[in-house]
Amino acid sequence: MTTTPPTLEYGPDDAATPDDEATNLLAVENLQVQFGTHDGPVRAVDGVSFSLEPGETVGIVGESGCGKSVTARSIVGLQEPGEVVGGTVHIDGVNVHEASDRARRQLRGDTVSMVFQDPDQTLNPAFDVGEQIAESLKVHDQPERQRLLDYLHAPLFANRSDWRDHRERAVELMDQVGIDEPADRVDDYPHEFSGGMRQRAGLAIALASDPDLLIADEPTTALDTTTQAQLLDRLRRLTDERNMATLLITHDLGVVADICDRVVVLYAGQVMETGPTDRVLAAPHHPYTRALLECRTSRAARKRRVPTIEGTVPERLGEQPGCPFAPRCPAAVDACREGEPPTFERDDGTVRCREGVVFGEPDADGGLGLEYGCGETQCDEGDSSTTSATASTRSASQPLRTDAGTDSLVSLEGVSKRYQQAGGLLRRLLGTDRSLQAVDDVTLEIAAGETLGLVGESGSGKSTLANLVTGLETPTSGAVRFDGDLVGAAGTRTAATLHDVGVVFQNPRSSLNPRLPVAQVIAEPLHANGWNEQRRRDRVSELLESVGLSERHAERYPHELSGGQLQRVAIARAIALDPRLVVLDEPVSALDVSVQARILNLLLELQRDLELTYLLISHDLDVVEHVSDRVVVLSNGEVVEAGPTERVLAEPSHPETAALVEAVPRLEHSSQ
Amino acid sequence: MDTAPYLVHRFGTSLVVLAGVSVVTYGLLFLTPGDPAEVILSQQLDRQPSEAEIEAFRAEHGMDEPVPLQYADWLTDVLRGDLGTSYYSDASVTGLILDALPLTLELAAASVVVALALAIPTGVLSAVHRGTAIDRASQLGALVGVSMPNFWLGYLLILVFALTLGVLPVAGAGSYSQLVLPAITLGTGMAAVLTRLVRSSMLDVLDEGYLDTARSKGLRKRIVVYKHALRNALVPVVTILGVQLGALLNGAVVIEIVFQRPGLGMLLVDAVFERNYPVVQGITLFTAVAFVVTNLLVDLSYRYLDPRVELGGDPA
Repeated sequence: MTTTPPTLEYGPDDAATPDDEATNLLAVENLQVQFGTHDGPVRAVDGVSFSLEPGETVGIVGESGCGKSVTARSIVGLQEPGEVVGGTVHIDGVNVHEASDRARRQLRGDTVSMVFQDPDQTLNPAFDVGEQIAESLKVHDQPERQRLLDYLHAPLFANRSDWRDHRERAVELMDQVGIDEPADRVDDYPHEFSGGMRQRAGLAIALASDPDLLIADEPTTALDTTTQAQLLDRLRRLTDERNMATLLITHDLGVVADICDRVVVLYAGQVMETGPTDRVLAAPHHPYTRALLECRTSRAARKRRVPTIEGTVPERLGEQPGCPFAPRCPAAVDACREGEPPTFERDDGTVRCREGVVFGEPDADGGLGLEYGCGETQCDEGDSSTTSATASTRSASQPLRTDAGTDSLVSLEGVSKRYQQAGGLLRRLLGTDRSLQAVDDVTLEIAAGETLGLVGESGSGKSTLANLVTGLETPTSGAVRFDGDLVGAAGTRTAATLHDVGVVFQNPRSSLNPRLPVAQVIAEPLHANGWNEQRRRDRVSELLESVGLSERHAERYPHELSGGQLQRVAIARAIALDPRLVVLDEPVSALDVSVQARILNLLLELQRDLELTYLLISHDLDVVEHVSDRVVVLSNGEVVEAGPTERVLAEPSHPETAALVEAVPRLEHSSQ
Repeated sequence: MDTAPYLVHRFGTSLVVLAGVSVVTYGLLFLTPGDPAEVILSQQLDRQPSEAEIEAFRAEHGMDEPVPLQYADWLTDVLRGDLGTSYYSDASVTGLILDALPLTLELAAASVVVALALAIPTGVLSAVHRGTAIDRASQLGALVGVSMPNFWLGYLLILVFALTLGVLPVAGAGSYSQLVLPAITLGTGMAAVLTRLVRSSMLDVLDEGYLDTARSKGLRKRIVVYKHALRNALVPVVTILGVQLGALLNGAVVIEIVFQRPGLGMLLVDAVFERNYPVVQGITLFTAVAFVVTNLLVDLSYRYLDPRVELGGDPA
């Protein structure tokens, strides 16, 4: 056994002894972190314990709001504005939260490093990348000789040769993390890097101190699949070479399966289950772990409902008895709601669940014999029969989709779009303007009633193509037709043609006006089409109901809703005028797995009920596979492959498609 | 965009601005009531001048020509670097400006130093210790500084430090001790505006993710704050500083009168009362040039402070 997690009241074993702290690289003991809110303190981390050995890779998984990031940040002492109210974190035997500023700096400069989630925010825009890596190297070399004027490169005060050396070493590091031509790029500023490159630079900053422990908080979430695969591969190689322990925070179980030795499953700030990755993913003991695995679209038959976890992660305010998962747990009994769940020690980990008492060992196929809140009848097949059922459900699921007619609703003929970069009169006169070919001679059709999936790496022209279809942009050459008529710029079209197309954007927080209540957000297109107030009000309540929201959401403002609820509002707005085509631009990529599943179910239902045609853009091939009839693969603005979804994703004929498919981290790889 | 074409473009637009300024100031002076020739002669002669005397004065200073022609003459002279001669003495306006300029520049520079030395540490401390007594005290100080008219502060300082304590001279110019009170008077008002700006700008920056990166490297707090945070917080501060330099010249007019410093401001005020038009026009034009140049420098400094800034945008 690699770890000795503490056991709470019912546990058979004793709690971790202080001796363990000396041998563990990282020991988190009963960590409790609170955030002050208007309603009182919220317990974001509520008694988390786990540990890491040198060289080990451990994943922390859970939905957003489960306390994953807060746990990770608390380990390096960045929990603010949260407050550590109990428990300890020891790194290399040093208590992080009781250590002096100096000792903590020493730890950060020497032993533990962190990679953050959003590559757009992790690098300082004001300094070039080389400087930011060099700084990290310098701190590591001389943690106690940090003079402000030296770090500001003030003439006479700065040690120039020192900085030059560190910059040279920064170039080496950039090379190691996979930044091409590092010597040329060392002087570049973060905004001149792509997202993937920035995340690599962030990794270089973290590795500069040659840490024993690397904490990576959703390091690949903001990246597209191909870039994610490259970064994970790099991470794995570097941790092997350096015998570095890694704590990986992620909501993507595929990523966990890919690189983690062990998993810690968090829910509502508590550890639900720990154990080796293979075992936890193949035979989860805790109902929550199982539910998380069930939500994955890749496990559900195409076009069928994905099982979901009903409800949301609760905010833990004040004392609440019982297991936090009980309200959402299909196996919960009265005892779960009343008393603290016991933590059971197993040979390979822990489970915090009364379940263990009731059901004991899981059955052969890893299931606990539980039914999840699948609702309706589409969720009939059991876990073990999923694969074999796929083929037959294709035909059986016909009622779920509209009859995909052969009439084309949208057609693109030789469409190209070029963007002027750094234009202007002077440059045009001098003939030095540069342009970017975003979409290059694309010809395709979208049939009425079908779902066309558009895939490709970031920058391949997916979003531009969608904007051309909606008329938000006009093609440089070629023709876009909707129902046979040429699509002009959005501004030049009549209301009649405009309301045939609805759009759902990636991030509902930025696509919905934060200053309008939900009802008004949804009513905007109705208003623009001259509906009177009574009709608008009726239509809004109808729409709220059809996207699974209730009247009480109507007067709320966007910031009072969760990401999933907001995306429902965005969908309601998109379908307000009964469009025939809905363009879905990464509709679920900003959402949690469990929420993703619910939105996908909603989209499938709406398509069936309203006979919608979808153009779906996504970098998540599981989502595309689940929803689309046909797939079009874009690369550098060109269509490189198109065809029925099963065929294209199962037997890709173009290397670009193969690379995309290959890059998807899947549970199935590791468990087979 | 590269710096060279950007500068060419900015130079072009600056010329348009300056041409506009010259037309407006020239035009406005001729719209003011009263005949300058009559006013000036009556002051010089201490009696009502005769028609002949006025005619002679006009002919001497080219005032008998139509206004557009006068403007054209003046402009050609200006382009040759000649701002004309004073109505009262034969001194050239360029010479008068150059004589007065060092005192004003000295005052402006000292005030900016005072303002920045006060505003940056106070604003940063205030933001870092948000909501504490330090924050509240500095905010109150800034409020007082913004609200207080600077001529009043000037007299107050004279009263306390010069008349009561006797540690600093009341007025005059030439020595550093004579610079202290005017610089403080002019600098504190500016400092108050900048302190609030540094504070709010720092508060925005302190939440940024890259500061977590900086902290997690093991950097000292001082370096995190004064290197990583402050550099990003300075962009809006520099913009306002540029605008404030204009206000500084306005302020100098008042302060130079209060402290009896024979600088550009005093020269201007005297010239206005005397209807010494060539001097007024010369100083106005000179100030406009100074304004345009400082704003250009401010824009150029953005690129250093925030490398993401693309200079110029679309020059067409």
